[in-house]
Amino acid sequence: MYEFQYHRPESLDEAAKIFAGADDPKFLAGGMTMIPVMKQRLAMPSDIIDLSRIGELTGLSAGAGMVTIGAMTPHAEVAGSKEVEKAIPALAALAGGIGDPAVRNRGTIGGSIANNDPSADYPAAVLGLNATVHTTARDIAADAFFTDMFETALEDDELITRVSFPAPEKAAYAKFANPASRYATAGVFVAKTATGIRVAVTGAGACVFRVEAMEQALSKDFSPGALDGIAVPADELNADIHASAEYRSHLIGVLARRAVLQTG
Amino acid sequence: MEKFGIGQGIRRHEDFRFLSGKGTYIDDITHDGMVHAVVVRSPHAHAKIVAIEAQSAMAMPGVLLIVTGEDWTREGFGTMPTKSAVQKKIDGTPLNQPPRHALAIDTARYVGEPVALVVAETEMQAVDAAEALDIDYDELDAVVDPVKALAPGAPQLWDDIPGNFCLDFELGDKDGTQAAFASADHVVSLAIENNRVTAVPLETRGAIASYDPETENYLLENATQNVHANRATFAGDVLNIPEEQLHHIAPDVGGGFGAKNSAYGEPALILYAAKRTGRPVKWINQRGESFLSDTHGRGQLSTVELALDKDGTFRALRTSTIGGIGCYCWTVGPFTPSGGAARTQGGPYNFPAMYYSSKVAFTNTAPMDPYRGAGRPEASFQTERIIDYAARTLGFDPVELRRRNLMTPDMLPRKTPMGLDVDSGNFPEVFDRTLAMSDRAGYRARVAASAEKGIRRGFAIAPYMECTGGGPKEFAGVDFGRDGTVTLRVGSQSTGMGHETSMPQILAAELGIDFDRVTYVQGDTEATPIGGGHGGSRNLEVGGNAVLQAAREITAKGKRIAAHLLNSNEDDIDFADGAFKDVKTGQSIAMDDVIEASFETGRLPEAMDPGCLDTGTVYEREIITIPNGCHAAEVEVDPETGAVRVERFWAVDDFGKIINPLLADGQVMGGVAQGLGQALLEEIVYDEDSGQLLTGSLMDYALPRADDLPEMKIAYFEDAPTAKNPLGVKGAGEAGCCGAPPAIVNAVIDALAPDGVRHIEMPLTPEKVWRAIASAR
Amino acid sequence: MPTISLTVNGKPVSAEADTRQLLSVFLREQLGLTGTHIGCDTSQCGVCVIHVDGKAVKSCTMLALQADGADVTTIEGLASEGEMHPMQEAFRDHHALQCGFCTPGMVMMSVVLARDNPDLDDDAIRHGLEGNLCRCTGYQNIIHAVRAGAKAMKG
Repeated sequence: MYEFQYHRPESLDEAAKIFAGADDPKFLAGGMTMIPVMKQRLAMPSDIIDLSRIGELTGLSAGAGMVTIGAMTPHAEVAGSKEVEKAIPALAALAGGIGDPAVRNRGTIGGSIANNDPSADYPAAVLGLNATVHTTARDIAADAFFTDMFETALEDDELITRVSFPAPEKAAYAKFANPASRYATAGVFVAKTATGIRVAVTGAGACVFRVEAMEQALSKDFSPGALDGIAVPADELNADIHASAEYRSHLIGVLARRAVLQTG
Repeated sequence: MEKFGIGQGIRRHEDFRFLSGKGTYIDDITHDGMVHAVVVRSPHAHAKIVAIEAQSAMAMPGVLLIVTGEDWTREGFGTMPTKSAVQKKIDGTPLNQPPRHALAIDTARYVGEPVALVVAETEMQAVDAAEALDIDYDELDAVVDPVKALAPGAPQLWDDIPGNFCLDFELGDKDGTQAAFASADHVVSLAIENNRVTAVPLETRGAIASYDPETENYLLENATQNVHANRATFAGDVLNIPEEQLHHIAPDVGGGFGAKNSAYGEPALILYAAKRTGRPVKWINQRGESFLSDTHGRGQLSTVELALDKDGTFRALRTSTIGGIGCYCWTVGPFTPSGGAARTQGGPYNFPAMYYSSKVAFTNTAPMDPYRGAGRPEASFQTERIIDYAARTLGFDPVELRRRNLMTPDMLPRKTPMGLDVDSGNFPEVFDRTLAMSDRAGYRARVAASAEKGIRRGFAIAPYMECTGGGPKEFAGVDFGRDGTVTLRVGSQSTGMGHETSMPQILAAELGIDFDRVTYVQGDTEATPIGGGHGGSRNLEVGGNAVLQAAREITAKGKRIAAHLLNSNEDDIDFADGAFKDVKTGQSIAMDDVIEASFETGRLPEAMDPGCLDTGTVYEREIITIPNGCHAAEVEVDPETGAVRVERFWAVDDFGKIINPLLADGQVMGGVAQGLGQALLEEIVYDEDSGQLLTGSLMDYALPRADDLPEMKIAYFEDAPTAKNPLGVKGAGEAGCCGAPPAIVNAVIDALAPDGVRHIEMPLTPEKVWRAIASAR
Repeated sequence: MPTISLTVNGKPVSAEADTRQLLSVFLREQLGLTGTHIGCDTSQCGVCVIHVDGKAVKSCTMLALQADGADVTTIEGLASEGEMHPMQEAFRDHHALQCGFCTPGMVMMSVVLARDNPDLDDDAIRHGLEGNLCRCTGYQNIIHAVRAGAKAMKG
């Protein structure tokens, strides 16, 4: 790790002031990515602004067809929440499958989606459920939030405060985990929502993306068979030592069908 | 008082320490004035070191010393020669051996090779300075694949070693095998890769070196498996000092599996740094450094051929292998792809003829040295895989084909065509017991249940036969304290196997004393005059027998004392259950009383002095033993994703006499998990062009986790005792790595046989399995 | 260097911590609690698992400064008055450790798994230990130990 200044503000205002006064500050949420990256000297922030004491970023509520999760809510809390389980079981299940129990105790939804790792799980839920990302500056629709690999619509000084998920009619997430890291080699979130069918894919591309062809097919016939013959072209997908683009393309099809089946 | 015998599952002595956080691993040790060393490693697979500008790094806060290849040359330190048991090529000339120094002198030949050492007051300061060290490299072409390394036009690693050729090797009857192939009804041939893997003990390598300028003695505390052998290298070969001047200690060691056996360069570097700085110097590898610089294992490319008669009787086996060993011979690198993989070819089958040949190449990769089994798992996999392939392609039942070709007890003892002395074992019985355990009756129902879910199910059985290895001699010393304590010192060493329990268990059982009285000392060159450390499943076989020999020498002395105390004739004294008894008079005296008397001149016979029960003895194995067994696996394969799940696993192992079944179980289960890792998950991958390691962290190198393993069922076969050693043990450590990979891989092939799949290379990753299904269709 | 105050194994502690220091390193070097091990640099292995405010966390993925004010329990604090915790006992009874290096993290994780779900089955244990690597045991005896330890904890 390189030298940095550490701050632990207790309000968003205080965090913003520290941010404004620093050279190259970074916000620290759960730290599950940020700290390993800093350990390996792959990042050199001048200041670390730890968000863990900011009460405005915590809390979880569900009601009136909406689940709202504070940005600093750890995965374990979402996974274990009876309210989330009742309103959007697929979201609770997805949160319960991130990393491992120790990671879920520290890692947060805000940190995960702000980082926008191409193989993270949460972006699939945010995009698949057409969630709204609330920030210190504005509300951002899921479709506009994830822009590229590790890139989002967030400005440098903009902080996610909470994410609200409209409860779908039904939804499910199917993930195929990388055996080493247990991140998603591919993951598909399928939701039947008030505004239509949404299919969001993570792990396979530069960042989470929707598959319109699948959405259209499922709109006509919400069954696994409706997806037969629909594939995301491999040339748009990631390839690494664990999975070629062709294999990822194939997995998207399999996982999408399984997700549809899982919605029951 | 706990009195335990041999064969009981005693809970471990060492566990309280480990469970309460009181273990002392290398990184837990600190010394006054201790400073920290960081190794600067080559970022290139092959590069000339043009210049190292150390001045600005030296000027950084806390920096005490920077060591480079130039310094090393100036000091005149020696190279570390290979101790490989195979030292000659087929033509009788010595193998090609490049000079191996503790760090790269003028050329770096693999990513991660030590290029410099930076020592600073704190670890952070050392890391900062290491990063600031300015090294000018001139990049050269690299070759990581051993086949390509041996091909004409390959980048040359060493000026005076043409063609990157280390040695060639052969064993067996070449002409006889050729004749058998020529006259056989069937011949099958298959190219099989044994994937390159690494041990990944959860504790990384590390050490602390100290130097006393007054005595000129060094102390090296080191997370190693082998203090004596490595002392010989560091003191004798590198530093050019008498061995007595280097005290080498291994504290609690967090796993080894072969990867901590070698004499690495880093400890030699910090020994020098300790002398130069006058301060104790600690170095601890990061995990990423371990992937780059720990020895790797397996990594063999073979063509395996099997000749059979019409009825399926095996006629001959022929294996031809190419192995890459990195750019040096390392400690025993050339042995695994030569003698190591040769001797157990053919497993427990009755092969009239066998021939093994290999070529060993230098490559721009991390060094190869033993990994759990070192050649035997490769041989077992090659043998089992070709048999399975033959059964599939020729239409034999894979279970039946194996069963009918096993050596039967009436054939024993025999020397295999590979020269292995098989004295004992009942291979058909072990095979049948494994089959019986594996609930074949319920199999069809399980296949049907899997099919209901759209899942394929497969089964395979894999008998194996291997051998022990490692140092042939071991020392055991027993010291009795006046306070009733007993100290047992042995030169073999545990890196987790539980010697602190099994070895005192043997001593306590033999002497009839309280197990808890025995304090165990290991991993210390000053505690034992010799020591073979850990490796080759040798502990009970060599070390255990040394303890038994010591115990018997003690009871022999005890008889003289007892005879004196009982006014008996020594020949009339019998020792059993912790008491010496005059068989004529019926009088007896307890071991404890004899021990007490051994400290009192007045109660001892003439010519025996107080403390006379203290004993030090060296046991030497005459001939290696033959552990064997049979493993079986049932797997589920998801044909849509290619994902494999090992559903059930059975093992029946013949380790000879089981000293502590609890510990034996641990060895089997741990070995099976590593075998499963090799079969399904683990692979070291280098980029072909750049020579960069692509699996350099636990994010990319997949270790088995709790949910990758099934519940294993384990049994032992103890009805074929060996007379090769007094304890009657055969060795247990490497069984799982021999049995599990073929059982699991062949079970997957069985599951996919209806799809037409005949072979998939390890590791059977989901994508490879999916592709195999797709291309077979 | 900043000073942090926290409760470690039931006792209040104040000590200096380098800004760059990880909690795992702070515990080991500043407090001498070397039972918490470090086995990787990517937060995968789990040998550094401790309890922070009652939750299992990887102490290598937390800055020491973040633990200011926290209630921390390490493997050294699990036994009480010389009596091993039922989970520690179960690990010994079932030979659930070999080299012992993963053991502290494994035990600390197992204790919370059992506490949060006293009736957990083998599948739940295997998934619960997803973030704890062991290279020696093949996990089977760990699973058995956690099952038994959970039962003993229930009383």
